[in-house]
Amino acid sequence: MSEDLYTRKMREEYDTIFRQCVSLNTELHKLVPLAKQMHLLSSNAVSSAARAGSEGDAFRVLTQDIQLLGDDVAICIDDTQQIIGEIVLLASNLARLFSSFVTYGELLGHIEKYDGGKTSPRFFEFGKNVIADDLRENNTRLSRSIGVLINLLSPVAMLAKKGQYLAVCSSVEAANSGEYGVSFEAVASMLRELIRQLSEQSARQRALLRDLSESMEKQQNTMRNLLYAR
Amino acid sequence: MRVEDLYKKNAHSWMVMGRDPDRREEVIDTNQYLIQNNGRGLLLDPGGVENFAVVAAEFSKHFDLANVEAIFASHQDPDVISSLSFWIQANPKLIVYVPKIWVSFISHFGVSAENMRPIPDEGGVITLGGHDLEVIPQHYLHSSGCLSLYDPEAKIFFSGDIGAALLPDDYTDLFVTDFDEHTQYMEYFHRRWMPSNSAKMRWIAEVRKRDVEMLCPQHGAIFKGDDVGRFLSWFENLNVGTGWSEVR
Repeated sequence: MSEDLYTRKMREEYDTIFRQCVSLNTELHKLVPLAKQMHLLSSNAVSSAARAGSEGDAFRVLTQDIQLLGDDVAICIDDTQQIIGEIVLLASNLARLFSSFVTYGELLGHIEKYDGGKTSPRFFEFGKNVIADDLRENNTRLSRSIGVLINLLSPVAMLAKKGQYLAVCSSVEAANSGEYGVSFEAVASMLRELIRQLSEQSARQRALLRDLSESMEKQQNTMRNLLYAR
Repeated sequence: MRVEDLYKKNAHSWMVMGRDPDRREEVIDTNQYLIQNNGRGLLLDPGGVENFAVVAAEFSKHFDLANVEAIFASHQDPDVISSLSFWIQANPKLIVYVPKIWVSFISHFGVSAENMRPIPDEGGVITLGGHDLEVIPQHYLHSSGCLSLYDPEAKIFFSGDIGAALLPDDYTDLFVTDFDEHTQYMEYFHRRWMPSNSAKMRWIAEVRKRDVEMLCPQHGAIFKGDDVGRFLSWFENLNVGTGWSEVR
């Protein structure tokens, strides 16, 4: 494949990666209200158990688990927000750096056509190499950050399962709690809904991350070919 | 792309490059200047990202750009200086002279403070290979922080956007050939882009104090000999800051 084709392919790949990062950012941002709702749910659960007095003892044990679940989801969401910010920045840096890399390539192409020019191509090759190094570094950092994000999001599926289990237990407890069962069931139902949303969002994020990881792999192959082709 | 020597004597010279026939239609044509003295180079308004490859390639034929030690930016516009990061990537020690008030803005072009040499509002002197070049205030013409550069040996006055003309594509001359004819290309530009008559009069007085054989704008054609005086008189009589009514 010629350098021009690699260049075009790479530009498209960087654009794709940037777009995917922005989509992932949007999707992850939807988790923020979910964390707040989990917190609210924990408070509701504690209040319901308190109102039930000694008859709410069994439910109180469940509220502690619901609280812990809410905390785990909130921590996970906070960490992902920070790392996705870095990912979008790195993807945007890569697109910008690549544009500079292409400009230097164009310049060196012009210079190579001249015979007896006064400036050695080495002068501008230095600039091109600085950019190539930055590209490699940003690429490595982006791959690493995507790996971190995958690790951060991996417990979400497990948390969702735990949430489903807690919702079932809460419903069972609601059925056995007479007059207080209504408020326990309200907590169980809210928990089921939040867990459903968490599971759906988690599935969408996993799909986006899978696409992003594939795009990164493709782009890294193309970059290797482009940077080492000459 | 046209490249011509404007002045050449001993180890001192001026070169201009402009009229890029391959530029995209929507990109304004720019003149880039290279001053050389004792083997050292100073680029004046080296242009935007858009034409960096062409400008650098053309000047490369005539001068070892590794010896360009500094860049002078008359003001902050992208067509003047957005290529800066490319020049600095190739030569991290490059010095960039900029109007002081624009330092924090020009930093957005990816330039660090170590490279920049802010020039105060009152102007100053730039020394290139032992030769002094005068920096003269040109504020509000058109930018609020704007500088001209005068070379007393070559008698060349670099005027940034003053004297600029929006030329048709078939105008390939680097110099003004018929001043009266040429005013049609300059009038709207100066009425629209130059906001202050009082700043204009101050600047004209500064130019008239000096012996100027060529007045070199960043766009359009260069004024030579008597056309320098003709331009100053024309500009003096033009009511600037009045182009807006035509665009409403």
